[in-house]
Amino acid sequence: MMKKSSMLTVLTAMAFLTAACGGNEANNEEAQADGGNNNANVDNEDADVTDLGAEDAEVELSFWLFGATGYPELAEEYIEENPEVSITFQEIDMEDHHNNLFTALSAGSGAPDMAAIEVSEIDGYKNAEDRFVNLYDLGAEDVEDDFLDWAWEVGSNVEGDFQFGLPTDIGPTVMFYRADIFEEAGLPSEPEEVEELLQTWEDFEEAGDTVLEETGTPMTGNPETLFNAKRDQAPEHYFNEEDELILDSTPYVEEAFMDTSALIEQGHVDNYGMWTPEWGGAMDDGGYATLLAPAWMQGVVKDNAPDQENWRVASMPEGGGNWGGSYITIPDQSEHPEEAFAFMEWLLAPEQQQKAFENMGLFPSAPEVYEMETFTEFSDDYFGGQNTAEVFAESALENEHVHKGPQYGDVNTEILDGLDNVYDGADPEEEWEDVLTRVEQRTSR
Amino acid sequence: MSNTLRKEINTGAEEHDGETENNVKKPKKPKKRLFSQKQKDMASGYLFISPFYLLFAVFGVFPILFSFYLAFFRWDGLGEMEFVGLNNFNIIFNDPLFWKSLYNTIIIGLMGTAPQLIAALLLAFALNSVLIKYKSVFRLAVFLPYVTSIVAVAIIFSVIFSNQESGLVNSFLGVFGIDPITWTRSEWGAKVAISAMIFWRWVGYNTIIYLAGMQAIPNDLYEAAKIDGATLRQQIWHITIPMLKPFIIFTVFTATIGALQIFAEPHIFQGRGGRPEGISIVLYLYREAFGSNFFGTASATAIVLFFIIIVFSAANLLLVNRIGRSGKVGEK
Repeated sequence: MMKKSSMLTVLTAMAFLTAACGGNEANNEEAQADGGNNNANVDNEDADVTDLGAEDAEVELSFWLFGATGYPELAEEYIEENPEVSITFQEIDMEDHHNNLFTALSAGSGAPDMAAIEVSEIDGYKNAEDRFVNLYDLGAEDVEDDFLDWAWEVGSNVEGDFQFGLPTDIGPTVMFYRADIFEEAGLPSEPEEVEELLQTWEDFEEAGDTVLEETGTPMTGNPETLFNAKRDQAPEHYFNEEDELILDSTPYVEEAFMDTSALIEQGHVDNYGMWTPEWGGAMDDGGYATLLAPAWMQGVVKDNAPDQENWRVASMPEGGGNWGGSYITIPDQSEHPEEAFAFMEWLLAPEQQQKAFENMGLFPSAPEVYEMETFTEFSDDYFGGQNTAEVFAESALENEHVHKGPQYGDVNTEILDGLDNVYDGADPEEEWEDVLTRVEQRTSR
Repeated sequence: MSNTLRKEINTGAEEHDGETENNVKKPKKPKKRLFSQKQKDMASGYLFISPFYLLFAVFGVFPILFSFYLAFFRWDGLGEMEFVGLNNFNIIFNDPLFWKSLYNTIIIGLMGTAPQLIAALLLAFALNSVLIKYKSVFRLAVFLPYVTSIVAVAIIFSVIFSNQESGLVNSFLGVFGIDPITWTRSEWGAKVAISAMIFWRWVGYNTIIYLAGMQAIPNDLYEAAKIDGATLRQQIWHITIPMLKPFIIFTVFTATIGALQIFAEPHIFQGRGGRPEGISIVLYLYREAFGSNFFGTASATAIVLFFIIIVFSAANLLLVNRIGRSGKVGEK
């Protein structure tokens, strides 16, 4: 008897212990795994800390950010002009960064004076206005006109009277395409000609027919990028401004789903999973003719296909959207919000954004930069000497803000899973109904 | 482990106590102190063991208790917590994906661990036999997969079990005229691939444990059995396995808990954080908490998982305890 009960105690204790340990390990590794997945400029290193300014400075600011921004180097100039300020930069990978920030905000202590938040994460923080400083209280309306309207609105609450963050960089989407595959199919291959040829999605489909017939290559690499491109042209997405699900009551997303399904069934879409080695390899050996993706994807293309000379950039049929980018926020735990805002204002002024673009390729959220020589005289040898910056800029200027909501990512995952099922042979109509059921299940908590 | 450790320390302290008490009693000093020597010894004993318990209280006990507490609230991590009673349990029990994740976990657990423990036993027997040369090389080689990161394993296996026709496994199957399998998205394809990862990574670990157990079995037993004309199979069945019983209990126990906690493999292998074909219960929990910020339902899932682990481990313990009891002749 005694033995049994003590056995049970040991058993319980072991279950607890292993449960606790297992959880931790899984978490870390998950973070590592996702590190490379979300943005082009993600470094998988441990925290990188840079201290700028005098040790006995009156105002000590801390700044958490992720990815390769080059901001610490840029900020040296600011510190020289403002010796009373010192700044500590902490750069880690994107997943860890957001976990740390979420924990610090939730716990109510440990947050920095300034924190970057990725655009796909920011809606998750908007229910917590009390955890952030309203930048309008610090004079944000004076710099509002420096930024693209839509980029600014992504950083505001629905009513537009609370500003969470200032936009740093953005990800205007375009159509990367392979000139050699277009040529082989007997289609025009110069960027201007391709833009002329592919103005609408019908044009895209027609060109796809030709490419598939002549070369056997599918028009694009996976359902995800195609669906994203189509969805981003819709005036409403998954939720309305009250965060009510509108998949059922608005036609746009269903249309995007059905159109993508139709192209899948015609063989115009392969299914290389995003960020897989096969997907990267196909960039090099011509597995697909176009890549519908944001400006920062050029870095991914160059990494995966360093010797490929045939990638070119054209504007997206029927107009681009936005994919990626970040915002700098001030958590309300900050003891120096005014000084932090002054620095942010300086860092994200057009002059500095122009430098960040030149140094690290961060695409500016301030349209003034698009008029500067950096842009007008830009040429990229990888893309055959093309002025790609202007194509991206055109996409950025056309974009409009659409409300997303905190559960946006969950809904998106279910839709993309549904498109994968269509690729595997499911009936699009039935699959759409299934998607609606799954989304309903997942968001009603 | 901590239990035995504590026991040792306690018995040590008691012996020590006895000695000092005797020493103090002999001179019989009437002077009264604030704390008796016994109390001081007790205090220092507790102080010595306190660092672990303090850390464990902060990082172990508190989160566990808080998780129980959270299961009855609706909370997004940043806003106000709202008491909802048993509603979180109601939500997950009515979610088909929760039951699917439980089903997947059990199936993948069985597919990943049962053949693996048997293979480990056979491998250990082979490594322990006198016939093999370069034993340490083989022992090292068989253990190596264990030290790799699960993430690296999942990424490499994603390439091996690629959906593309040109993937390693698919092109191998193609040789036999089998159509390419969509490993990451088919019901059984995903389970096979994930089980293969678990098998590959853990088989060496269990082999080494069994090997250690086998080396503790005295050779006399085998010699005696050989003299009596026992075949190799009889030797394994009647000597090795009964003598290994504590080791088998340990591995079955840890493998059961491990199998119920499968997470990184489906999370990475299926892309986008998993799909219904491979989602495990811990992945379900993770998606609730860190994908959707539903910490209440995630905690409720954790509690359910906690009880499932206890039930499964207890059931396994009872089953494994019967090993070697049947079919044994001539033993009391």
